[in-house]
Amino acid sequence: MKSTLLKTARELRAVWMLLIVSLILFIATPLFLTGPNLLNVLLATSVTALLAAGQTFVIIIGEIDLSVGAVLGISGAVTAITLQTQPLLIGLAVGLGVGALAGLINGVLVTFLRMPSFIATLGSTSVLAGLTLFITQGNPIRVANEGFLAIGQSRPLDVPMPVWIVLAVVVIFGVLLARTRFGRYVYATGDNAEASRLSGIKVYQVKILAFMISGILASIAGFILTARLGTAQPTAGTGLELAAIAAVIIGGTSLAGGRGALVGTFIGAILLGVIDNGLNLLNVSPFLQGVVKGFVILFAVFLDRNSDLIRGLWKMLSSLRPKRPVRPNKPELASRH
Amino acid sequence: MKITLNDIHKSFGETAVLMGVTLEVRGGEVLALVGENGAGKSTLTRVISGAYRPDSGKIVIDGEPVTLKQPQDAMAHGIRVIYQEFLQNIFPHLSVSENMFTLDEQGTFGRLFVGKKRMAKKATELMARIGLHADPHALAETLSIGELQMLEIAKSMAHDTKLLILDEPTAALDEQESERLFAQIEAMRASGIAIIYISHRLEEVFRISDRIIVLRNGTVALEGPAATLTEREVVTAMVGKELDDFYPKESHGTEEVVLEMTSLSSGTHFQEVTLSVKAGEVLGIGGVMGCGKGSVLRSLFGLLPVTAGSISVKGKAVSIGSPQAAMNAGIAYITPDRQAEGLLLQQSVAHNISLASLDEMSPTGVIKLHQERTKTRSIMDALHVKAASPEVAVGTLSGGNQQKVLFGRWVMTSPRILLMEEPTRGVDIGAKAEIYRIINQQAALGVAIILVSSDLPELVAMSDRVAVMRHGHVVAELTGDDLTQNRVLEYALESAA
Repeated sequence: MKSTLLKTARELRAVWMLLIVSLILFIATPLFLTGPNLLNVLLATSVTALLAAGQTFVIIIGEIDLSVGAVLGISGAVTAITLQTQPLLIGLAVGLGVGALAGLINGVLVTFLRMPSFIATLGSTSVLAGLTLFITQGNPIRVANEGFLAIGQSRPLDVPMPVWIVLAVVVIFGVLLARTRFGRYVYATGDNAEASRLSGIKVYQVKILAFMISGILASIAGFILTARLGTAQPTAGTGLELAAIAAVIIGGTSLAGGRGALVGTFIGAILLGVIDNGLNLLNVSPFLQGVVKGFVILFAVFLDRNSDLIRGLWKMLSSLRPKRPVRPNKPELASRH
Repeated sequence: MKITLNDIHKSFGETAVLMGVTLEVRGGEVLALVGENGAGKSTLTRVISGAYRPDSGKIVIDGEPVTLKQPQDAMAHGIRVIYQEFLQNIFPHLSVSENMFTLDEQGTFGRLFVGKKRMAKKATELMARIGLHADPHALAETLSIGELQMLEIAKSMAHDTKLLILDEPTAALDEQESERLFAQIEAMRASGIAIIYISHRLEEVFRISDRIIVLRNGTVALEGPAATLTEREVVTAMVGKELDDFYPKESHGTEEVVLEMTSLSSGTHFQEVTLSVKAGEVLGIGGVMGCGKGSVLRSLFGLLPVTAGSISVKGKAVSIGSPQAAMNAGIAYITPDRQAEGLLLQQSVAHNISLASLDEMSPTGVIKLHQERTKTRSIMDALHVKAASPEVAVGTLSGGNQQKVLFGRWVMTSPRILLMEEPTRGVDIGAKAEIYRIINQQAALGVAIILVSSDLPELVAMSDRVAVMRHGHVVAELTGDDLTQNRVLEYALESAA
């Protein structure tokens, strides 16, 4: 019973942190808790949330994908270039294809070619970022396709389109992870790849698919960023992989693999967005915002790796509180009589 | 030097491993220690080397009672052990001489900078003493296994060794290397060192030892000079008399052959294995470590390549190149190491059990949770898996319950052929009985079972038929009255005719 509570508390850690930060901001500024501002937070978070959703699959299988920012950049650029001559659907298909291909290559490097994912995706980051600069020749590429721009700028039911896309992704991929055979294999592979292989799971296939999901979601993030700006920037996505990894970890997914959930990641991404937003509303110097976010990430990882320590502290604290049946003073008094 | 152990007891939790062992060994003597797996040899070794502290009993060295709290204390008395897993003590990327003097607490070769020349000279000198001529500057990884073992012995010579314990030293050596080792042991004995020699290979034991002690169930079952004992006496003492009724063996064998291996070979792992298993039958495979018995199972499950011969299931030839192919042929494999190769320790009991059966529970890819819950529940009930709920992580269960979860995973796939390797390793006696019950259950359902076990009483009691392997070959098939622990051991051990 108690362990279930602790487990739930751990899984909902991001929720608690989000509630606490929101409460502080609610007290500190009346601007925070307003409809337009909250939608603004979600909109600003959408790109990170998508990258983090894909990253969640990769981290649960026990690997890491540093290339998501670069995949975002190249698929945005390739899509923008395609759209100059081709209709919308072909542009989207090409963009998604680039993301899937990048994921496939990362997956093959990590599985069949036995490279550690940290180095393999670091390498592919450099290759993809370089290719993006080459094909754009370092210039922003304008997109005129109305349909494409709607991905970033339209507001069905007064909610920005990117927010709808993120919600759809969280639901679809959340179900994929939590309820399907493939999702179960993702956890199994991350927990113990050898045992999974000996249970008939095609471990390489699962790993490659996880990297492909990461690549595809990164290219959707690329669509959103490009459509919001109206141009594909040659350096778009640079550094976003770190925010994505941070969101995953804050969301309670274990870097060691085998444990985590997509909802947690989503909340982790929102938490990062809320902190950004709050610091802006409070007029904190933008130069300090990175410092604050860094501390939040450190704190989240500290909680993740020191649950024993925290449990111990909790026990100590609760033993300090006088409990009902044992009043330490009473028996002593009684013995004096 | 004379070391005496007096009435040593050692338990781990509920399990008593040493129950009053008394022995003595003196300088210039080779004492052989033999016994089955689990007889207490390793524990005894670790007590002498200070790695374990006995619960009770005395250790006396040269008339002085001593307390060995840690390995360093034993080393200070000149006691050295070369474990069977000695490779773990080698630093492959350091040179031979660096390996030899890793621990140089006195700073003999310099405090800040190491005097490599002096070190190499000293290393060469020590190695020459035991007939090893390796380049002291060569990296350890370039040496053969035999040379590395000699290096370990040379390393022990660097200190003033008075008692040397060798645990299965020839397990990884070829004949020539073994011969050199025997010559070295002879030389060490002549120089007055006491030697405890642990081995499964009776021929070696009789050849090099002065005295033999047989351990069985944590006590000394037999002790005597090698010159007057016979192999048969030693084997009988190793096996002893077992209580028969602990094993609830039922016989369900039929005439229908389910699995047939014909001249099956897998590289150097095993050769020309021809065996068949019938529905409801339990075929045991016995043999000492490294005889290839586990490799046979691994190739049947697609984990080792078949290099020659064929496998057929129910009369149809099958080719098994992967675990998936094996599972499609109706084969299940319970791995010997449940933590490393079996379970997903962070995942729930239910998810561990259903893992290999998810295909049928998710025709569309989405798992039918209700069906999964019902099926895992009924498996947990049938196999008596004790867990607070199906949702708890498997890692929190006891070893016996973890093992039952692993059985559950494969029972759920309704296999035609169930391969199991060391199914009761590291589980308590109660869980053992339950696992035997599961084996009976499956046999009654007509599953063809192959049981590979190093636990000799278990192997003999739970199998309908036992194939004995040695050096990658099947050397005997025993049934009926022939199926006794003595016969299995005789065939399994090197020296049997």
